[in-house]
Amino acid sequence: MSDRHGPRNKWLGMSAVVLLASLATLGVHAESATPDSTDAKPANTLQTLKELDGKAPARRHLNIQTWKTAEGAKVMFVEARELPMFDMRLTFAAGSSQDQATPGIAILTNAMLNEGVKGKDVGAIARGFEGLGADFGNGAYRDMAVASLRSLSAPDKREPALKLFAEVVGKPTFPADSLVRIKNQLLAGFEYQKQSPGALASNELSRRLYGDHPYGHPSEGTAKSIPPITLKQLQAFHARAYAAGNAVIALVGDLSRADAEAIAAQVSAALPKGPSLPKTVEPTEPKPGETHIEFASKQTHLLLAQLGIERDDPDYAALMLGNSILGGGGFGSRLMTEVREKRGLTYGIYSGFTAMQARGPFMINLQTRAELSENTLKLVQDILRDYLANGPTQKELDDAKRELSGSFPLSTASNSSIVAQLGAIGFYDLPLTFLEDFMQQAQSVTVEQIKTAMSKHLNADKLVIVAVGPTVAQKPLPPPTDRPADRPLGVPEH
Amino acid sequence: MNALARRAAGLLLSTICLPLTALAADPQPTHEFTLDNGLKVIVREDHRAPVVVSQIWYKVGSSYETPGQTGLSHALEHMMFKGSDKAGPGQASLILRDLGAEENAFTSDDYTAYYQVLARDRLPVALELEADRMASLKLPADEFSREIEVIKEERRMRTDDKPTAKAFERFKAMAYPASGYHTPTIGWMADLDRMKIEELRHWYQAWYVPNNATLVVVGDVKPDEVKALAERFFGPIPRRDVPPSKKPLELAEPGERQITLHVQTQMPSLIYGFNVPSLATTDDPRMVNALRLISALLDGGYSARISARLERGEELVSGAGSSYDAFTRGDSLFTISATPNVQKKKTLADVEAGIWRLLDELKTKPPTTEELERVRAQVIAGLVFERDSITSQASTIGQLETVGLSWKLIDDDLAALQSVTPAEIQKAARTYFTRERLSVAHILPEEKTHE
Repeated sequence: MSDRHGPRNKWLGMSAVVLLASLATLGVHAESATPDSTDAKPANTLQTLKELDGKAPARRHLNIQTWKTAEGAKVMFVEARELPMFDMRLTFAAGSSQDQATPGIAILTNAMLNEGVKGKDVGAIARGFEGLGADFGNGAYRDMAVASLRSLSAPDKREPALKLFAEVVGKPTFPADSLVRIKNQLLAGFEYQKQSPGALASNELSRRLYGDHPYGHPSEGTAKSIPPITLKQLQAFHARAYAAGNAVIALVGDLSRADAEAIAAQVSAALPKGPSLPKTVEPTEPKPGETHIEFASKQTHLLLAQLGIERDDPDYAALMLGNSILGGGGFGSRLMTEVREKRGLTYGIYSGFTAMQARGPFMINLQTRAELSENTLKLVQDILRDYLANGPTQKELDDAKRELSGSFPLSTASNSSIVAQLGAIGFYDLPLTFLEDFMQQAQSVTVEQIKTAMSKHLNADKLVIVAVGPTVAQKPLPPPTDRPADRPLGVPEH
Repeated sequence: MNALARRAAGLLLSTICLPLTALAADPQPTHEFTLDNGLKVIVREDHRAPVVVSQIWYKVGSSYETPGQTGLSHALEHMMFKGSDKAGPGQASLILRDLGAEENAFTSDDYTAYYQVLARDRLPVALELEADRMASLKLPADEFSREIEVIKEERRMRTDDKPTAKAFERFKAMAYPASGYHTPTIGWMADLDRMKIEELRHWYQAWYVPNNATLVVVGDVKPDEVKALAERFFGPIPRRDVPPSKKPLELAEPGERQITLHVQTQMPSLIYGFNVPSLATTDDPRMVNALRLISALLDGGYSARISARLERGEELVSGAGSSYDAFTRGDSLFTISATPNVQKKKTLADVEAGIWRLLDELKTKPPTTEELERVRAQVIAGLVFERDSITSQASTIGQLETVGLSWKLIDDDLAALQSVTPAEIQKAARTYFTRERLSVAHILPEEKTHE
């Protein structure tokens, strides 16, 4: 299959963290949007646009319930009875930012969870879940590590699946033969990374942006750091980082409140006892400038980045809207319009803030043919510089708000999207009304606030830039189309 | 990972009015009708959230293309965003974006499809825009001259600079000697270089007609409202004959083929592919369903044979998988790919021997009841899990219809799989896993080219 525009590249290995950030670029908004404004009608030829009432669309109501288990795990629950299934997602502050002196231990511990429990080896565990039709999932990123279960809700499936899940997450035995095998697979992964310019660029960018900070090393560790990791270290990491006090339990599905309480209590009781881990320290400002990595590819990968924001930054709403206009929203964003639509330089270009526990990155990423890479880089920097200096137009902002409003129903449409939202809200200690609050804040943001917030956090002359590609003679860019049909409306821009 | 493995196993995991009352899930009503101009419309109600997905599937893709014109279907997909009567180039995307919709398109060997996911009250806008570009696409030459550059960037990004993707493209070209499935969907670079807007206009005229399309709508809608909208916007588009299209049929036993590729990789790997039928081409669906079960036995999860034996037991591979798509318009391919465990000093030859041990065992020993029960449990659960996503439901319906099968096939799928006997699984393995049907690719690091 070949999509017209593929998934946005996210900071490698951080996909679980960016949930709410991508929600923000996809959307939220409320009643205060421009009511059925004429500027949504291209030449007034679409009959159906005239028929829309201009109100914010309805969305699925979420009754989020929350409590703490006896051992201190935070539970987030939404009852959804429509399908005879449920999703559970445990999120621990157990990502690679907790690696300390042992890069890769977080991901190794996470990958070893389902390799052995008392009386069961890895094969028996896999047969156990799969024989019930249940899906076990796991993953470790920078801030967080995740273990998840999706199962039918009928008790004859649910109860054995939960029993096995609780053992796997709470009492893994970390068998020695599995440890050797998983280490080997990680080492094979490093070899694969060497052939991936995207992975090379991403690792270099993290290093440049964060240095010795806990976000600076690859989540997967390195070929040097993985082999010496011992069973004892895994056990110690598990005892500390998979403790109930360090966990958020998100539950969505065909369960009553009483069911959910019993399940959360069961899983929580199986976890090691202990408190939440301390928050990741703030990084220091990186040194701006460009690094080139030589690579024999057709395209050059370009990453432009700065330190961005923490998850609870007060400018969050303004920055999410500001970024959506710059390059967060795909077609129609300034970067996509100028670089792809007007000049055909790339298949996709995106920008984004990854808001994290400590300041996550702001990043622009794209690939373009090698002989145009230097001039494309300049073009991107100019677009950013202009945007930071002048801010968005009123129309761009109105459009972004309307988009946010329209896409809000999509963010809570399925059990899997709800459980992901709950996990993030719980993990980052956001209020239960976060989604609504964010919508309201976003709708009241002004052009001036976006300009101020964007230029407060970003500076086009302080970018850390990584380019991976071949050294070739450079060519000038093709001229942009003089027919920028990128604005659907007859309304003049301000 | 499990869900992906299931997909790879080629088990069709959709939902519907299944005989699964034991699961206590109310089936979702699904309705089908055809407009006078031949547009087929399928509506599935899912009222969990006030959202809807609309997909239109055209029966055209890279397997319809001829040498010298590869990549036309995919390029036309890009140009479908470049303006029609009611919206200028790129405008439809901006309108949909303003409405908060997710939209995209995808092209494959067998189909080209366009979709929008949006709040339910905005469905009419999506359908009006979709109908407009079915009837009146502009295909401006200047837009094409820029867009073809974007497509070449896409090719560089997805294929040329990705050693494994590039190797698989070459492998497919060898493994399908007779059918259009040897054509890469994105097109060969030489053909992209000489593609003309006139060719796209012709391609559009030939295939983009209501009688060659299926509209699938899943979500918080009622069939009557979709029918009224479909008639209002698609109804006036005239029917037109499409060129004759023939199922991509393959030689049953083309003979053993091997290709050795030196690419920019650090790790050797290999691909095996056996020429096999699909549900659309077979005269014996039980054999195809047996192949689907074999795929599940081999790679239907972390407990399946490839993981349990090659990856963990023998530690022969650092990664491996099998894949079989039974839902293609033409004859299909059963593939196995693997990377040797180099830390354990395993070679491609060791891996090949290990693969043959698995295949030979399938021929000589029936699978255990426990193994088959595990596959069944995954299929049953998968049928429910897929209903969490309106997009998955719509895609399953659209794909089945577009490859010449019926979406109603899903109703009987579980029963069809369950009726396959262990003896039939052995028979399928003996019939299809032969040297005469086999293509092999060895993918090696570039340093060894001077060998």
